[in-house]
Amino acid sequence: MRRRIATHGEEAEINITPMLDIVFIMLIFFIVTTSFVKEVGIDVNRPSNAPVTEQKISEVIAIRIDETGIISVQNREVDIRAVRANIESELATKPEASVVVISDRDADAGLLVRVIDQARVAGAEKVSLAAMAR
Amino acid sequence: MARRHAAQQEETEINITPMLDIVFIMLIFFIVTTSFIKETGIDPNRPEAETAYKQERGNILIAINSVGDIWMNKRKVELAQVRQMVEQAKNESPESSVVIIADEKAATGVLIDLMDQIRMGGVSNIAVAAEQAGGG
Repeated sequence: MRRRIATHGEEAEINITPMLDIVFIMLIFFIVTTSFVKEVGIDVNRPSNAPVTEQKISEVIAIRIDETGIISVQNREVDIRAVRANIESELATKPEASVVVISDRDADAGLLVRVIDQARVAGAEKVSLAAMAR
Repeated sequence: MARRHAAQQEETEINITPMLDIVFIMLIFFIVTTSFIKETGIDPNRPEAETAYKQERGNILIAINSVGDIWMNKRKVELAQVRQMVEQAKNESPESSVVIIADEKAATGVLIDLMDQIRMGGVSNIAVAAEQAGGG
């Protein structure tokens, strides 16, 4: 009787200590290397250089930012706070239009992000970014 | 004698199966959620935006500081190097997208050049980092 129990025990017990070691080391490695920080940001589309994507001028709402940070929507100078309302009214007349932000190379990136953001808030589905030719 | 033996065995054997279950579940959780984000090394002032949202796949981070220097992978890089570095990063995790952390005062020209280089490097999902306006 005792012999049978003993052999039974030998059979059933696999030594799992090395596996446990490895599992713990992997666990610690992944805990240490994991970073849950996700960047918060806005998507930007830039039309490719190919001329096929060029849109008809009537379907585009152009927002220009010059080097001193003056914003103009469809060649009308506007304040940053008025950008949203202006785009909304433009979109009301041309619902299919896409917004293109044309920025001077020396304009602040912060202003550009704010303008793109305002265009999104105004309801523009597609906001693209273009650089002013030098 | 037999009785002593049995008592000893009961004492020494702790049931570690539940612990193993938990450890394995934790292991799988961490393996799945790990995304090896390489920090840029600088922390520019992000502009605020209302429509900003979390970039779930934004694993490649590139920063531009206020004078237009490009930082990636904890060191300053030249614009011409960015393409190669993006290609390399894309090889490591093919489905990742790029987040550009541009300072508010950075010139737009650098940002657009950088976006061109990233696109040439084969990543077309580009986002510009921003802070959530209003609530936080």
